[in-house]
Amino acid sequence: MRLFIQTFSLVLLINQSALADEASSWLKTEIDFILNAYNNSSTTNETRFLIIENTINYNFAGAGIAKFVAGKAWAGAEKNTKKDYITSFKRHLALNIASLMKGYSNQEYKLINIKYDSKNKVSLIDMEIYNETGSLVVTWRVKKSKERYFVIDLLVADISLVVTKRSEFNSMLKTVDYDLHEFNKLLKDQNESSYNKFIKSN
Amino acid sequence: MAIFKILIVFASLFFYNFSLLAVESDTVKTSSSDFETGNFEDEIYDPLEPINRAIFGFNNVADKIVLEPVAKGYRKLPSPIQTGIGNFLSNLKMPLVIVNQLLQGQGKNAGESTGRFVVNSTAGLFGLFDVADKIGLEQTQEDFGQTLATWGVGDGFYLVLPIFGPSNVRDTAGMVLAYTTDPVNAYAVREGEPWILPVRTATNAVDQRSKIIDEVNAMRNNSLDYYAAVRSSYYQYRKAAILNIDDNSQTPLPLITIEFE
Repeated sequence: MRLFIQTFSLVLLINQSALADEASSWLKTEIDFILNAYNNSSTTNETRFLIIENTINYNFAGAGIAKFVAGKAWAGAEKNTKKDYITSFKRHLALNIASLMKGYSNQEYKLINIKYDSKNKVSLIDMEIYNETGSLVVTWRVKKSKERYFVIDLLVADISLVVTKRSEFNSMLKTVDYDLHEFNKLLKDQNESSYNKFIKSN
Repeated sequence: MAIFKILIVFASLFFYNFSLLAVESDTVKTSSSDFETGNFEDEIYDPLEPINRAIFGFNNVADKIVLEPVAKGYRKLPSPIQTGIGNFLSNLKMPLVIVNQLLQGQGKNAGESTGRFVVNSTAGLFGLFDVADKIGLEQTQEDFGQTLATWGVGDGFYLVLPIFGPSNVRDTAGMVLAYTTDPVNAYAVREGEPWILPVRTATNAVDQRSKIIDEVNAMRNNSLDYYAAVRSSYYQYRKAAILNIDDNSQTPLPLITIEFE
């Protein structure tokens, strides 16, 4: 019996380690793709952002994060409003991630400390980014679904992007009485402003 | 010209492929429990929000016109100088870190921090070089705010302090306590050199700010409500520091499940 438990635990550990390695290898490819886009000087700013936005949209659980971030405003909204909101949120997420990753594009990084949280079925992958004076750890929370990986959250110095966005959105939703339709207008305006800043600053 | 046409076809196929993939990701949906609010603190206790927002606005302008440009200039200094300044300032904090570790019952950490302080103050030339790190004495941080939290003192309400930025009642009390009990500050005042205090504080602010230029800009440029984003970030950061989270698997996990339609 003891041998059976030991063997079972070993198999489980090996399996978990394999899952974490697989997620890490996938993540590295996607991060490199984004960082290479920044280092490719032959593309225009608009095209570069489009490439990055598509990569982020494909690899992040954008719709799921959007719903989580909307909090209680989600339930009462119309179907078309929700659809509209998800589209705007995805652009907002892309602008946030692209802006952050741009800062890391000229720095070396290494994926360290890869863990698999079997309870929540989430891989946690620490990305250590090195600059001349030190390093910063960014943690990617990655979940597998139907043979594909999705990023569900990003933590910079213990601060979750998704939790911060939820708090920020809640503060703005309060000003429009949790009306997602009205909120969409604010979100679109912010996206336009961020897009202009991001393209200009590139 | 032929190469140009091939490039256009290739680029079209490339973007077509990407948009197909993006459409696929649009079908991701979540379960209804994903947006229940019970698991997260959407509301941070902020009864002074109008005043806090005004101070935050002032701090933001001060940051843009003074702190950020100075921090950017500081980042242009040779990296050994930046590292040296950072190490020196960090070493000056060590006596209070040790006191707080002892007050929180962290004997092992206090021992390591004492070792760090002794090694870096001597072999590390007054803390300019982090020799202790090379011999395996890792840096850990504790302050009075964390000690008070460990003793069960609650956050109190959220506060934005002029120049110093986000805080809360407990952490402000901790900051005042640190300022008044710091042996370096006390020595400077006793020796008739009180100017050391603001210079130390300002240098520390520039050193810390220089490390997060990209992150702050990303947040500032892309936030719908920058004030709320900073407030939430501050609470998350402090919570992790109080709980001494060195492993992100312990930070709250948003309940985002993925299904395909």
